[in-house]
Amino acid sequence: MINLTINGKAITAPEGSTILEAARANGIDIPTLCYDKAVEVYGACGLCVVEAEGIPKLLRSCSAKVSEGMVVNTESERVVRSRKIAMELLMSAHDGDCVAPCQLNCPARTDCQGYVGLIANGEYDAAIKLIKNKISLPASIGRVCPHPCEKACRRQNVEEPINIAQLKAFAADMDLKADSYMPDIQEPTGKKVAIIGGGPAGLTAAYYLTIMGHSVTVYDMMDKMGGMLRYGIPQYRLPKEVLDKEISIIEKTGVKFVNNSKLGVDYTIESLKAENDAVIVAVGAWKSSSMRTPGEELDGVYGGIDFLRGVIQGNAPEIGEKVAICGGGNTAMDACRTAVRLGAKEVYVVYRRTRAEMPADKLEIDEAEEEGVIYKFLTNPLSFNGEDGKVKSITLQIMELGEPDASGRRRPVPVEGKTEEIAVDSVILAIGQKLVQGDVSELELNERGNIVADPDFFTTSIDGVFAIGDATNRGASIAIEAIGEADRCVKAVDAYLNGQQLDTRVPYISKRDEDTIDYSDREKKDRINPKVLPADVRNKNFDEVSLGFTEDEAKAEADRCLECGCREYYKCKLLNVAQRYDICPERFKGEMPQKYSHDENAFIERNTSKCILCGLCVRSCREVMKLSSIGLMGRGFKTDVSPAFSLPLDETNCNNCGLCVQLCPTGSLTEKFNLPKQVPLDEQYSEEFVEIDGMKSSVIVSRYNGKVLRVIPNDEVSRNSGLSREELRKLL
Amino acid sequence: MRIVIGQGSCGIAAGAEKVRKALLNTNINKDDISITGCIGMCYLEPIVDIYDDNNKVTRLVQVSENDAETIAQFVESGDKSLLDKLIVSDEDSEFLTKQTRIALRNCGILNPEKIDEYIGAGGYEAIKKALTEMTPEEVIDVVKTSGIGGRGGAGFPTWFKWNAARSSEGEEKYLICNADEGDPGAFMDRAVIESDPHNLIEGMLIGAYAIGAKHAVVYVRAEYPLAIKRLKKAIEQAKEKGLIGNNIFGTDFSCDFMIKAGAGAFVCGEETALIESLEGHRGMPRLKPPFPAQSGFWRKPSNINNVETFANIAWIINNGGEAFAAMGTEGSKGTKVFAVTGKVKRSGLVEIPMGKTLRDVIFDIGGGMKTDKDFKAVQMGGPSGGCIPAELIDTVIDYKALGATGAIMGSGGMVVMDESTCMVGMAKFFLDFTAKESCGKCIHCRIGTKRMLEMLERITKGEGKEGDIELLEELCYSIKDGALCGLGQTAPNPVLTTIKYFRDEYEAHIKDKKCPAGECSDLIEYKIDADKCKGCTLCARNCPVNAISGTVKNPHVIDTDKCIKCGKCYTVCKFGAVVKE
Amino acid sequence: MDSKKVDLSLLDGVLNEYAQVKGSLITILQHTQDIYGYLPKEAIELISEKTGIATSEIMGVGTFYTQFRFEPVGKYLIMLCQGTACHVNSSELILQTIKDELGIDDGQTTEDGLFSLKCVACLGCCSLSPVMMINEDTYGSLTPDKTKKILKELREAAQ
Repeated sequence: MINLTINGKAITAPEGSTILEAARANGIDIPTLCYDKAVEVYGACGLCVVEAEGIPKLLRSCSAKVSEGMVVNTESERVVRSRKIAMELLMSAHDGDCVAPCQLNCPARTDCQGYVGLIANGEYDAAIKLIKNKISLPASIGRVCPHPCEKACRRQNVEEPINIAQLKAFAADMDLKADSYMPDIQEPTGKKVAIIGGGPAGLTAAYYLTIMGHSVTVYDMMDKMGGMLRYGIPQYRLPKEVLDKEISIIEKTGVKFVNNSKLGVDYTIESLKAENDAVIVAVGAWKSSSMRTPGEELDGVYGGIDFLRGVIQGNAPEIGEKVAICGGGNTAMDACRTAVRLGAKEVYVVYRRTRAEMPADKLEIDEAEEEGVIYKFLTNPLSFNGEDGKVKSITLQIMELGEPDASGRRRPVPVEGKTEEIAVDSVILAIGQKLVQGDVSELELNERGNIVADPDFFTTSIDGVFAIGDATNRGASIAIEAIGEADRCVKAVDAYLNGQQLDTRVPYISKRDEDTIDYSDREKKDRINPKVLPADVRNKNFDEVSLGFTEDEAKAEADRCLECGCREYYKCKLLNVAQRYDICPERFKGEMPQKYSHDENAFIERNTSKCILCGLCVRSCREVMKLSSIGLMGRGFKTDVSPAFSLPLDETNCNNCGLCVQLCPTGSLTEKFNLPKQVPLDEQYSEEFVEIDGMKSSVIVSRYNGKVLRVIPNDEVSRNSGLSREELRKLL
Repeated sequence: MRIVIGQGSCGIAAGAEKVRKALLNTNINKDDISITGCIGMCYLEPIVDIYDDNNKVTRLVQVSENDAETIAQFVESGDKSLLDKLIVSDEDSEFLTKQTRIALRNCGILNPEKIDEYIGAGGYEAIKKALTEMTPEEVIDVVKTSGIGGRGGAGFPTWFKWNAARSSEGEEKYLICNADEGDPGAFMDRAVIESDPHNLIEGMLIGAYAIGAKHAVVYVRAEYPLAIKRLKKAIEQAKEKGLIGNNIFGTDFSCDFMIKAGAGAFVCGEETALIESLEGHRGMPRLKPPFPAQSGFWRKPSNINNVETFANIAWIINNGGEAFAAMGTEGSKGTKVFAVTGKVKRSGLVEIPMGKTLRDVIFDIGGGMKTDKDFKAVQMGGPSGGCIPAELIDTVIDYKALGATGAIMGSGGMVVMDESTCMVGMAKFFLDFTAKESCGKCIHCRIGTKRMLEMLERITKGEGKEGDIELLEELCYSIKDGALCGLGQTAPNPVLTTIKYFRDEYEAHIKDKKCPAGECSDLIEYKIDADKCKGCTLCARNCPVNAISGTVKNPHVIDTDKCIKCGKCYTVCKFGAVVKE
Repeated sequence: MDSKKVDLSLLDGVLNEYAQVKGSLITILQHTQDIYGYLPKEAIELISEKTGIATSEIMGVGTFYTQFRFEPVGKYLIMLCQGTACHVNSSELILQTIKDELGIDDGQTTEDGLFSLKCVACLGCCSLSPVMMINEDTYGSLTPDKTKKILKELREAAQ
């Protein structure tokens, strides 16, 4: 035995063993992407480098042997620097998406591709479980979310994006119809958390902290939970019955709800802090913003959310027959469509840009128009004019579009001297909402008047008090943004409760350059929208406008998904190593070595643009299987892994043993799932044994939600059995 | 009287074969006409040496086939005045007289295709002496005394490698000659094989005896067909004489010889890649350890030396290690051959004792610049080496001293540059080379060299940005540290040395979007100096895009919007009126 | 080229001599290319059959080394030296001249099948730089005009 020191730890290792073997045997992890004990050492990736005292060069630990008295450091500054650059270089030439752009663009990083794919496969149970990893109110959010996911959906480059939000609502509705999914609750931790505010942020935090075993109480000033989902979204968009059901599931996990309890009146942040281990402030933004237009103080001028809340609570303000709504966002849409439903005859939407620039959802804009709403584009209120203190008309400045502003939209500029006056009975200002500052006076506020919360740790000026959602930093945004913050805040709070600090910044992932993606081979298939009530029916009542997807519609729509994200995301060794180092491959951005292309047969899919040339596939095919179905072609930067003459795998002597797939450290070689629609899933792997021709043989089985997704031969017998995957599956 | 025509590749390219054929067509007795290899005065090719009966030589240079009759007349009449315009000048003769030739001692003198000439000059005496009078250990001792280091570039002590291979267990061992001379700008090895193949064979036989190998292999690059042809012939002749084969000189030492031609991959100069290639595989380096001395060709103990190293061995055995060690410096013994090329007046092969300075080679022997521009830098060691600037011209030729500059001794390529060479462009040139030649196995080299090249391309196009130099440096040091083999580990050297000595040139490209050397076409503009322009219209007629206008005998003007910067006007102008800015 | 015209019997000699000698793949490929001017697919398949080396490995070796080609080349293969000395002595101008004259890029063949252009590693004739080789002949100290003249002469010789 040889005595040596690794990272200050004295260890012994058999003579002739490599540093890597010695380290692994002693629980010291050294990253590598090209080493596997099944094949000869290769030394390509250079990630396993270590520093040894007295040796000037870095050593590749996969090949360097241990020697007596050796002092090895596997994590020295030089070693880390070398690995970091190696990974940056590698990722700069790795043309692949770890996860789909829809997921990346979702503030909560909801696995859209995952649940869309599961829906396409008819796996609704699995879909709702996956959704509920991130969203505790999916039926509600599916209905109201402005779906940033769809804005990033690549299907729009073919024709239109996938109807992701509606698919989420579909899966959630299915779940609400029957025995709803209840998460497993972990053992109680004995830690108490108070959450101020029962809106989407507060409820999300409550749900996930409870699942983690913490004891959570939510305090809310209103008589019911739901926050803006309940008091800001009209019934025709989100029926309160749906919201109630979802909130009741959250309550069932064990969260304690305390309603009609107001911060600053019934309790203070400090008082909650004294009784709890942590406090999360998620009070939201409940005050309508002012336009600073003369006449705002007149009777008949209402704030958008105040108006909506009044209607929902059954005390709708008097709006008369002619109503003007100022603003172009979703609150403006909610307000104008609500006004129509309240019986107003002329409902105007006053917006200073054009339809194309409206931030509201396109469907909402169209549906409002169908319901009779009149758009006054390129107009801006100069003054609200009143008689006897009551608003009677609006003077509108006519606008035109000028140069693009910082947001990229063309800036509206007044047309000198051109105005218009419209008579109104009431005006609704739907231009934004703000935090009610007095409530949170215990916390430090920023110049915008919002709570200062660390964007990654969610900490505030008081230790143990965290803040999220509309009340913080840049102010009000969409619900899913608040949910995303809540999701990350939960992790930070959980760490805090364990005496740790957690940076919740999302680690590095690989993304394809959008400009390089070719869609020309994609067949066009129209987007499917759920059927809606006819405009002349719905504009007279508050019934839900959307009728939701039927099962067939949902499956067909979900099937349109382009499957952007990588199937190997959950077990990708490449990504795992990349995330260990603070890498920035952008600095080395340049040409990609291979064109994005893929070759597939019934089991295996090859995607050379993701290949990192570790050589494990080629080497295992040659050294272990003695087949050499694939080889390294060309040299240098353009080296490629391919069968001879670029033949498809099926035209080679490949026997689909799957060894190459098993060893591939990334998504360049993947085995397909036993599913009609391919979708990245966090499978569970286990080694199992089957009997083949009277011989016991090992196979690796991957399951998801109880379903067998892949069976991968794992020894000589199964690899050479000639059995198809289906036949192997039957042997389980 | 003998007429000997220099017939190295350079000579042939310059027309030596045409000269030989023309001479054969004259009245000169065909038996009196023979060939030799490369004397090394490449800039004067074709060269014809006329030996009188006292073996006194008259050297004729830059001979053309049209001179054949004149030579024939001289042979007949003995009237030397006929040759006046052909005879080499005294100044040019100094190119050779200032050298000290050991490895090249027979080059350009003996006929490489005749073993008897080699034997007549004392050839194969050293192997005879080694086999009959010395033990392998004694041979290694002499080599140790000589202090010779590997002439492939790194200068690693030859005796040490031989000793390691000798000490390795196993009956079957291989002695391999690395003749995969891939450095662009280096052709010493080619000259040795083409001009004196038996010297190489003899050196290898001695090496094989020393390490206990029965098999000798020469790995030659395929781009050297003439070298392969002459070496094959030499091996055949040596076999016929019993100098290769079984029981050489009646001893129990047997050794066979094999030539393997490379197929175009610079990386195969790296010894483990060379072995992979010898075995018929892709030339991708193996991990070291194990070193070839333990596990090399066919996983047997193998020793690999460079051509020039072997070319010194017979001389060392004949003259003793001390004689060799008497030349050179403390750390670098003996002589070194350089291929001096580029903007130097006299280009060719130069062998000098270690310890001379770069100035001695470039100015004293090489004659300085061939242009009217100033000496700017010399590139040594090819893609693994670096650029040494004018201010370090007095650097001593010694492994350590050259290494201290950031360049390396290298295999002997010495490319001289004047002020018209852009140093960023030079770095780009080498990175383009290494990126193309990278085998693709390890990340640092495969992607790192490519990314460096892309950065350099951006800089030379005027798209460089603040921080690029620092990023380049960071990448350079990382590649040096992380690459698998010598090719990758040394690939950053041309970038690092040009940044070290010519940082201002990089900054000019990045900040001012200017190329001070006037070489990067994206950063220059061509203009016509109206005072110098004679209105000859030559430039306008040669412009491929009709960007030049003007009338006869009046100054012309270039429309810079139309100009594609091809530089044709600049090249064709006879009055220096076209200027780069 | 019509693949049916590949006469595989021409390989008999090479394969008899080398197929069973280990480590001879590169040598076999070099001889094959000498015979056909390039490496035809059929020849590679035959070599695989006779040597037992997988086609993927043969192609791996073939595509690693710059010497090997998988398409027939023109009557005149122009190999333009990319060495340092040539670079310093403006080989770029020569490359541009050849491209302009022949209308082809590195690695391409003219439509009439007369010329192929390949930029190659240093030919080792640095003192004569810039240098090119056309088939077996080396041409040194090139200038754009000299290059044009050489190409013109070759084209005329071929007609």
